[in-house]
Amino acid sequence: MIAGLLFFVLALFLPGCGLLPIGPLTRAPDVPVRAMVAGVPFFAQDELQCGPASLAMVLNWSGVAVQPSDLSAEVYSPGLKGSLQNSLIGSARRHGRVAYPLTGSEALLAEVAAGHPVIVLVNLSFFWYPKWHYAVVIGFDQQQGEVILHSGLTAREILSSRTFMNLWRRSDYWGLLVLPPDQMPVGSDEGEWLSAVAGLELTGQWQAATTGYATALKRWEASFAAWMGLGNSRYSLHDLAGSAEAFRQATLLQPQNGMAFNNLAHVLAEQGKQEEALTAAQRAVDLGGSFLDTFRQTLEEVQRK
Amino acid sequence: MLRKILKPVSLFLVCSFLLLDLSVQTAKAQMVDTNTVIAVQQEQANRERVVAFLGREDVQKVMVQQGVDTAEAKMRVASLSPAELAKMANSMDQLPAGGDGVGSVVGAVVFIFVVLLITDLLGLTHVFPFVRAQR
Repeated sequence: MIAGLLFFVLALFLPGCGLLPIGPLTRAPDVPVRAMVAGVPFFAQDELQCGPASLAMVLNWSGVAVQPSDLSAEVYSPGLKGSLQNSLIGSARRHGRVAYPLTGSEALLAEVAAGHPVIVLVNLSFFWYPKWHYAVVIGFDQQQGEVILHSGLTAREILSSRTFMNLWRRSDYWGLLVLPPDQMPVGSDEGEWLSAVAGLELTGQWQAATTGYATALKRWEASFAAWMGLGNSRYSLHDLAGSAEAFRQATLLQPQNGMAFNNLAHVLAEQGKQEEALTAAQRAVDLGGSFLDTFRQTLEEVQRK
Repeated sequence: MLRKILKPVSLFLVCSFLLLDLSVQTAKAQMVDTNTVIAVQQEQANRERVVAFLGREDVQKVMVQQGVDTAEAKMRVASLSPAELAKMANSMDQLPAGGDGVGSVVGAVVFIFVVLLITDLLGLTHVFPFVRAQR
């Protein structure tokens, strides 16, 4: 029993035989050995306010002038003495920025090398005495084995890669990019980028969403969801002609999908193009699917005009 | 038995939720909003929307319990997609909330202090900013 305990304590302390093997900080072959993101201002955090401070740093880098104290109301939960990951995401959206989560060191280093600072969630301590903390990774030097962060009260804190990975592992390597809607992550996936942009719609950031979809279409011009998003956000900005054009593109890409025809019908009706609107609404109903009820209501509404 | 009931109930909730939800998100009801388009494409729409429908209020309530003002809690929940809410609703009491970092371990017993000091030196933790881990 005592021997077992001793072994456990030893295992905990000896770096060579830690309980869990730690993966090294790995880097994709095309990423440089060292990199540093320029133009990330540092805000020293107030007590328990690492969430607002980290978010303020990346928001200011992205061109949104905001102080940590302004963000506290949007992200900090007094009862938790901290800020939830989703609160950071929601707050970034409320400021018109795309919140794009990432995981793992390859993605982290690739983004930092591309000039994007990354908020990371780390546990500075162990699970039995957790000290969850947000910091902003602004650089790394793989030759020196270092990660450089704006963290807590320290600007450009240098951590050994090994320590950093020990701390970051405890959040399952969770990171967050906060980007202007015209800048995609280097490793972006179509579905994830579009979900991140659609998040802007939830906070009524239609102009930013429009930019985000347009940016997506530069890379994935045949993306149905991107055209739909563009149509919806242009519609919300009262750009009827632009909205109709986007929905029309969506109908061409997926002629068997009623959703695009349904939304197109609404826009055409509002433009006073009654006949075209009826045709589109009827097409949606004919195509059917799980939104048939919605399509029927659209048709009725158009007929009533 | 439960499964049998679940399906019609889910369907009903999905439909009623869609109607509710769309009117909030897009200026116009009966337009399919982008978050729905994406969810449908990911073929998770139904399940997540049901959970989110049940989750939205729950998450909001828990946030208020956690000291967030009611109107603000509503705003925070509104800024999240059904998928994000669904994930959150399932584990609201276990989510990590980043807050520390200034490194005060007031209240910790000496043993924990010593343990963390050593693990800091070993690079396993970073509780004390003044400790530089060995390479």
